[in-house]
Amino acid sequence: MSEMEPAKNMISIKIDGVEYKAKEGEYILNAARANDIFIPAICYLTRCSPTLACRICLVEADGKQVYSCNARVKEGMEITINTPNILKERRAIMEVYDVNHPLQCGVCDQSGECELQNYTLELGVDSQSYAIPDTKRETKNWSSVLHYDAGLCIVCERCTTVCKDMIGDAAIKTTKRGGAALDKDYKATMPKDAYAMWNKLQKSIIAPSNGTDYTNCSDCGECIAVCPVGALVSRDFQYTTNAWDLKRIPATCAHCSSGCQIYYETKPTSIADRTEKIYRVTNEWNYISLCGAGRFGYDFENRVEGKDQEAFTKAVEAFKKAKVINFTSVITNEEALMLQSLKEKMGVKLINREARAFQRFLDFYSQASGNSLYTTDFKEVMATDFVMSVGTSLRNDNPNARYAFNNIQKMNKGAGLYFHPVGDNLVPTFGKNIEMFTHKVGQEELALLLIIDLFADHDKLPNSVKEQLDRDKLLEALGKDSEAFAKSFDKMMKKKESFSLMVGEDLYFHEKAENIAKLIAVLENSSSVKVAMIPPKTNSLGVALICDLDDEAEGYTIGYNALGDFRLSALGDGDLDMPSMNQQEGTLTNMHKRVTPTNAALEYHGYELNDIMAELISAPKYTIDWTPHLPVEKGFKSINFDDLPNEYKNDGTENRGYLLDTTTKEVGEIEVDKFDDSTVLDGEIAYRCNPQRQFNDFTNKAHQIFEEFGLYASKERAETLGKRVTVEFDNGSLELDVIVDERMDGDIVAVPDFKSAENIYELFGASRYQKVIIREV
Amino acid sequence: MDATILPEVTAAGVIIKAILILAVISAIAGFGTYIERKVLAFMQRRLGPQHVGPYGLLQLAADGIKLFTKEDIIPQHANKIIFMIAPIITAATAFIALAAVPVFPDFTIPFVDVYVPSIASDVNVGILFVLGMMAAGLYGPLLAGMAQSNKWGIIGSARTAVQFLSYEVVTGLSLLAPIMMVGSLSFVDFNNYQSDGTWLVVYQPVAFILFLIAGYAETNRTPFDLLEHEAEIVSGYVTEYSGMRWGMFFIGEYANMITIGVIASVVFLGGYNDFWIFPGWLMILGKIAFSFFFMLWVRAAWPHVRPDQLMWLCWKVLMPLAVINVVITGIVMMIG
Amino acid sequence: MGLEQFKNRNVGTQNYVKLDLPHPPKNGWCAFKQVLSRSLKPELFVGLWVALREMINALFRGQMHTTQYPLEKLPISPRYRAIHEMLRLLESGHYRCIGCGLCEKICIANCITMDTRYDENQRKEVSEYTINFGRCIFCGYCAEVCPELAIVHGGRYETASEQRASFSLFEDMLTPIDKLNLQQEYQGFGAISPNADENIKKTPLAY
Repeated sequence: MSEMEPAKNMISIKIDGVEYKAKEGEYILNAARANDIFIPAICYLTRCSPTLACRICLVEADGKQVYSCNARVKEGMEITINTPNILKERRAIMEVYDVNHPLQCGVCDQSGECELQNYTLELGVDSQSYAIPDTKRETKNWSSVLHYDAGLCIVCERCTTVCKDMIGDAAIKTTKRGGAALDKDYKATMPKDAYAMWNKLQKSIIAPSNGTDYTNCSDCGECIAVCPVGALVSRDFQYTTNAWDLKRIPATCAHCSSGCQIYYETKPTSIADRTEKIYRVTNEWNYISLCGAGRFGYDFENRVEGKDQEAFTKAVEAFKKAKVINFTSVITNEEALMLQSLKEKMGVKLINREARAFQRFLDFYSQASGNSLYTTDFKEVMATDFVMSVGTSLRNDNPNARYAFNNIQKMNKGAGLYFHPVGDNLVPTFGKNIEMFTHKVGQEELALLLIIDLFADHDKLPNSVKEQLDRDKLLEALGKDSEAFAKSFDKMMKKKESFSLMVGEDLYFHEKAENIAKLIAVLENSSSVKVAMIPPKTNSLGVALICDLDDEAEGYTIGYNALGDFRLSALGDGDLDMPSMNQQEGTLTNMHKRVTPTNAALEYHGYELNDIMAELISAPKYTIDWTPHLPVEKGFKSINFDDLPNEYKNDGTENRGYLLDTTTKEVGEIEVDKFDDSTVLDGEIAYRCNPQRQFNDFTNKAHQIFEEFGLYASKERAETLGKRVTVEFDNGSLELDVIVDERMDGDIVAVPDFKSAENIYELFGASRYQKVIIREV
Repeated sequence: MDATILPEVTAAGVIIKAILILAVISAIAGFGTYIERKVLAFMQRRLGPQHVGPYGLLQLAADGIKLFTKEDIIPQHANKIIFMIAPIITAATAFIALAAVPVFPDFTIPFVDVYVPSIASDVNVGILFVLGMMAAGLYGPLLAGMAQSNKWGIIGSARTAVQFLSYEVVTGLSLLAPIMMVGSLSFVDFNNYQSDGTWLVVYQPVAFILFLIAGYAETNRTPFDLLEHEAEIVSGYVTEYSGMRWGMFFIGEYANMITIGVIASVVFLGGYNDFWIFPGWLMILGKIAFSFFFMLWVRAAWPHVRPDQLMWLCWKVLMPLAVINVVITGIVMMIG
Repeated sequence: MGLEQFKNRNVGTQNYVKLDLPHPPKNGWCAFKQVLSRSLKPELFVGLWVALREMINALFRGQMHTTQYPLEKLPISPRYRAIHEMLRLLESGHYRCIGCGLCEKICIANCITMDTRYDENQRKEVSEYTINFGRCIFCGYCAEVCPELAIVHGGRYETASEQRASFSLFEDMLTPIDKLNLQQEYQGFGAISPNADENIKKTPLAY
């Protein structure tokens, strides 16, 4: 049971004669797993649709054989996991899987964690009754990270399922193998399901769905994670180590605000070099999906041989004369608390642009709504069946938000509205019932007004809002034909019960942020739409809650992973080295409002921020001693770091850290400004947005993240721009290579901000959109 | 060399002979170690030394070089003078004893026609002299063991004393019977006594056996190698010795072995008299060689006895036997 | 015997059982008789004869036992577990190791380490392999577990070296390519020596 959801609609079922509780409407397999009962299953993925490829999850329910991955529990259902016939089927299925599967487990990367190995042993397959001539199956590199060994593939379709249902790329599909046809005799002699499964298996193989040899996807590597055998392996990891040699360190991914649970898997670098190295990142793929940055961007550690006394002394001096501390959101809660303590005791000013924008927005929101924090998390969003997104480039800003948007379309037969000035040709492919609003920059308020108009109980609305609600006008302003929209909206609304809205960074970096926050509060007050916010960067939420940030400051600046007169850096290029996120312990506050622990995967021998604290003010022995002192009044709890769990339970419960407490207070009626066109931008516009797998300097440092720092543009736009351009802003200019992002649409170009040295925030100022002049070089 | 006949005893002759004996015997003593290692090896079906020179013959040279070049270590708390003198006593007495022992028949050097009496000095109390010298030789181990301030050394010297007290009486008494028969203490007379071809061992078998036993004790050979028995007391009196000082003990020991061989041959086994077609010098060489070999053979075959057993054996068994032998010899001579 | 008794270190309080030895001589005469009987019994001379016989056997009958070790070596038991060897495939000469890591996993002394990589032929290549012979206890599990009969225990028991590393790298253990024809298969734990038949002695029960 999830912590938020009280035990509702519980029914009782009997499995092998023992009574258990299960959620109504749940699949038998999930109900069994939630009760810690093992039913063999290969092809099923918890948050995706049942594939029915393996058929091994056969059980008998109320006397009938059903597949436990797609049969739902009913009150009083009696389930038998093993019957003689089912055991025969399962054994035959495993034998079939072993037909022509290479036996060189020794060289296979999956050996030791291979589900084929496990189930072959589990079901006691000790002889082979079936045979068929093998087909030559080529090993292929699908992309810069994906390696597919078709010879090992058992076509369970987990990769295609996760790619479609969770990731949304649908970059791979099953295709014809061209294998020999099954011997006719088998039909009569084999167990039925095993024959059917083999028949399908023998015909298919996995290939990129665009018909080429290369996938066109976001390189998230989730297919690698779900692959039960060694068919899909990352190119970098392949053949470098065995699964059992790796030490798993549970941690929290620190690239974006999703804060996914990951395991860093480490082992000594080589025979000659015994320092630990991260070989790969794995995840609990049944419960959380990673993006490419999380999975492949792991080697950003700051290798420091020892404590540099001199640099440390200089750092302490610098802190003593510092007026300003400039830092990024890639920082733990503990470190943020340290900086806040410095502010309180030494009066320095704290600058963190993205967190400050978010902090202001949250303040406006809570003043208007009375909620101390946004009320929904993305888990709840994922459970809704109508999702909307405003002010975020879904594909780039936050993978988890994107996965949620996609998953709702696929799993909940959902519908979606996507409001964003930058066109995107991936989002429409998520499902049939998606309306894209490619509106003008600055019209975000109109988008929210339209949503209010569509979903709110008009009686509850304040007058200042009511008078702005003219659906036709709104639709027209947002670029839609009102009749056509009305028709499709009716279709979208069929059988829809729960509604959610994701809002993103565009709204925080917005001139009318206050008004927008009010509109969101209005929406929540007057409708059942749940609103979740995407913090702009990794720990922006934590920083916004912990630190008392300043808007502008001048004077001697210390930069922590950011620009400054004296630079602390976990990138190895600063005046004093700091541990990077995979080298330190601490907690991060993610967008699910959850404070999650992360652990040190690699050694770090240098100084930490805590050492400077000890020198300047006073500090406990370890960084994690700060954890229980996080501000309780902001929703944090006084829990010791070592007491924070970091795991998923069998029923999918996220047992990680703790949730922030939220409070609600009564507020008066909300007064909303009237929309005016003053903020709407026209002409040549640049959008501050990172490519899919880049979030910050750390992802950029990782050797498997290839996305360059350049000007991203849609194909058509790129053709008009040329190869290299200068982008002139009001207060500066940049020279960038033009890079085509095939999934972008329209004329707006994207300028990444993942290189803090380029000081992109300064160029864009208080908005994510800026008018620019682009010239070819 | 001068072609004149040397007077029977000239100073130059004695010195030349002394030097010769010293050189030859010490060489043979060294060579004895090689023989011992070889023979013991063969009896255990091993090969023994074989890498230095042909059949390992130059092992002796290698050992000699090693001993000569080794650092001469004197323990800090040792009585230095005695510690340094002790090996010299052993070696010196062994060689001095050889002065009164005739090894070869007298001969004339061919071509130069020089008559050479083979004995360095035909002392008329030769036997007493030799026995006395060999007995004095045991002061070497005794002093060495006590001077080195090492408990194994002390035990070694204590055992030396035990041994000393045990065999000396038997040696003397066992030789008394042949002396009575020959009526002289000169080895030359012993030799001449047997020139008719009848060996004294025929008349005095008991005395011969007693002498052999006592002789083994005197030379510290198995079964009476109590003084430095490695298995029990590390190295006994030589524990703290190294290099040439250590080597001198062993030159002494091997010289003593030869001396005992010579005495046994001359007194009991017909001396250097010609025998059948074999000339005297060959006979005595053969006898000495066999005597030496027998010592090695015994060492290969027999275990050693405890000090108390040696003492018990010498005083309670051998001495009575020797006395009885003397008495019987006397009675027989009276009657005869 | 119980453990308590075994642990009792108070010498003299244990229940020693005296063997059935003859009584020591009671008086001097008895002792004298004992000496006489021992001396005159032929055992002493048998001892001399045995020593001489062995010498004759050694010198003239070719029964010398000594093996002149560095020059000649005795054949070693196929079960012997000396420094490891890495074997090659007989046909291609390519090394057999596939880098599966089972030896690394099973090693109870934790002394095997290997680096593997993806090579140009899309195969798993062992780029480096080492055994820490300071730790290795020569238990033979690695050879036992190897699915390719690649790592085996060789007969190379002469392991004196200036440094342990002299034996421990892949190339050191790998059969030299020019000696491929001399490569011996490892017979393993249960192997019997080639001369096992000769070593069988008749036992009273068998005949």
